Amino acid sequence: MYGMIHRAMRQMVHEELGEEAWLALEQKLEIGPTELLTGMVYDDALTLEIVSEAAARLNLSVDQTLEAFGQYWVRFAGQGSLSSIMKFTGQNLASFIANLDRLHLAVGSAMPGARLPAFATLESAPGHLVVEYRSDRVGLEPFVKGLLQGLMDRFHACGEIHVVHRGEKSILFDIRYQDKD
Amino acid sequence: MLLSFSEKQIGALLPAFLHIDKQLNISAMGPGILRHLPHVRIGMPCAEAFNIVNYDTAQFLQEGVNVQPVSLIARDIDVHLSGAAIFHEAGCLLAVRFAITEEMFADSSMDLSDFGHADPVILSTMLIVLQRAMLEESQANAIELAHARQRSTDLLERTSRVAGYMAHDFNNLLSVIRLNTDRLSRQFGKDEKIGKLVEIIQEMAARGSEITQSLMTLSLQRTDMRQPLSVDQVIHDNMGILDSVVGPNISLKLTLNANDRKCVVSYSDFLNALINLLINAREAMPMGGQIALSSSVGVGLIKGDGDTDADMAQSDSYIAIQIADTGVGMSDALLSRAFEPQFSSKPNGTGLGLASVRNFAVETGGDVWLESAEGKGTTAYLHLPILKTVAPLVAVSSAVAHAGASDALGKKRILLVEDEPYALEALVEMLEAEGYAVTPCASGEEALIALGQDAYDVLLTDVVMPGQNGTEVARDACIAQPSIKVILMSGYVPDSAALQPGWLFLHKPMESAKLLQLISA
Ligand code: HEM
Repeated sequence: MYGMIHRAMRQMVHEELGEEAWLALEQKLEIGPTELLTGMVYDDALTLEIVSEAAARLNLSVDQTLEAFGQYWVRFAGQGSLSSIMKFTGQNLASFIANLDRLHLAVGSAMPGARLPAFATLESAPGHLVVEYRSDRVGLEPFVKGLLQGLMDRFHACGEIHVVHRGEKSILFDIRYQDKD
Repeated sequence: MLLSFSEKQIGALLPAFLHIDKQLNISAMGPGILRHLPHVRIGMPCAEAFNIVNYDTAQFLQEGVNVQPVSLIARDIDVHLSGAAIFHEAGCLLAVRFAITEEMFADSSMDLSDFGHADPVILSTMLIVLQRAMLEESQANAIELAHARQRSTDLLERTSRVAGYMAHDFNNLLSVIRLNTDRLSRQFGKDEKIGKLVEIIQEMAARGSEITQSLMTLSLQRTDMRQPLSVDQVIHDNMGILDSVVGPNISLKLTLNANDRKCVVSYSDFLNALINLLINAREAMPMGGQIALSSSVGVGLIKGDGDTDADMAQSDSYIAIQIADTGVGMSDALLSRAFEPQFSSKPNGTGLGLASVRNFAVETGGDVWLESAEGKGTTAYLHLPILKTVAPLVAVSSAVAHAGASDALGKKRILLVEDEPYALEALVEMLEAEGYAVTPCASGEEALIALGQDAYDVLLTDVVMPGQNGTEVARDACIAQPSIKVILMSGYVPDSAALQPGWLFLHKPMESAKLLQLISA
């Protein structure tokens, strides 16, 4: 995956465990700043190694770490120079999810070689969404669940996310939520 | 072909569209208008809600035909729309979009849903924002990389410094072992068993010394030493290498007339200087030719530019090495820049060769320069001070210095400075056994006192010592007693900037024989 994702992972470990923990992880994996270059595409295997090494340090399973990272990513992107584009993508949960593909379309033109997901809203009612996630990658279900949770947090909503169907290349998420305020 | 779309479908393509009927009232609108201009309602006269830029709104809508560009401004909210007005029999479709700038991304109440899927402005604006974010991160990347490089350089430097200290200390220990085994050998060497043991210890010390040499090479310490060398001999011994440097198309003619006179130089530095000068000559003769390498003894000023530097005025005797080629020659412009560190007249040249020759020449107290005639060839002149005539830098008259150094019995006087007591003891014993009058000092400070009280032929001093170090003692000794011969001993080769021309240097652990040879040379 793109180095940008690795940098977000580093930021999460920094915030959770401190800089030393990240340096120890780098040492263990024999990586350094050259594996954190924003605009470089790295093998997914490296991304996963980073995730599992972080998992060991966070005392979480790899899936739990992926989920935590998904949730963190929304916060990460919501700060700094990506914040305006996040805001522009949508100003409530339903419209944000509806516009995710358009966001990734722009990402795809800015970052050639990115393998981006597709999201489709299959059902939409107040407080209820059924969202289809499609990807040629496997194993990212917990990551997506974390992302959706992160989006609920972003829009001050609380609720539950369940996987209602797992297809070959797609997963259906059922989201029931209500606004906190 | 007539295509018909529902309002919803048009709304998906153009979320801010408006339809105006023949009565000039708003008859349909996209979801974007609903969201952001809530006061606009179906049935409302268009002119009540919008102004058409540069036109009278009613007139524009009444008179327009086909397709025309259009810009609208909402009447009581700062919202701009632009696009095309499409006229048809039932009225006019305002196929417009909200005008948005990159700045509005952050604080506008609009989002992607207010723009059409294929809206190129939105796509490119998002692209710009994303690229800016990536650029910011890339700048952070660059800073991180620079820091990482600095850290690893620092670490390497620290490690190599520590390795250097360790090698130095270890060398000192080996030096004591070496000197004391020499002592043993002198006193009890006739006993076969002891002689054998001494041999074993010496061999082990020699191996230890090889290890420290490697450690020092690894830690980037210089391990070569400056010693008196016969220039002719070095050239003669290395003819094979020198011949291969000039290559098969060039003949190398030797005329060695320095008569085995010696200069104090590092063997490898001298050889490198010769090789660099030969490479330079070779490069000037791509089609082949002849190089004449000659040595002779010269008298007069050593410097090429005739600079009557007070320092050098006394160096009246030097070895002159000339390397003359029959190549293309150099223009004045080239000549004036030939010794600049990064300068090279060749496309692939590193430009470092001649600059390093100049460093070598200057460090040794000599000089190097080129003379050239375009089309005829270039001659490099390398002048190096001859050992015997190298004078200390500043001659200060001193009663002591003129008194003559040898003691009453005609023995040579040696001022010996060494802070390692066992080494000091062994050296004193060895030198006295060889018939020298030795004044031992355990520190630089003691040595300075001794220098004020007596005259010496030779200063033999360790370099790294607490307090006054060896090069400082040597400098003061040369001022106080200009004719004193300086021999420095160390595991380190001191920074050449701290050395004066003519000082001899002996690498620890040293062999007694080598030391005695230097003292008597
Ligand atoms: C400004 C915000 C965002 C940017 C710049 C961005 C960028 C990216 C990038 C660079 C990748 C990696 C593609 C690769 O290297 O192959 C990616 C993957 C992904 N993104 Fe986003 N993204 C953003 C927001 C989001 C959000 C809010 C979601 C929430 C659902 C999301 C969901 C995903 C998923 C699920 C993947 C994994 C790809 C896969 O399944 O194959 N992204 N994104």
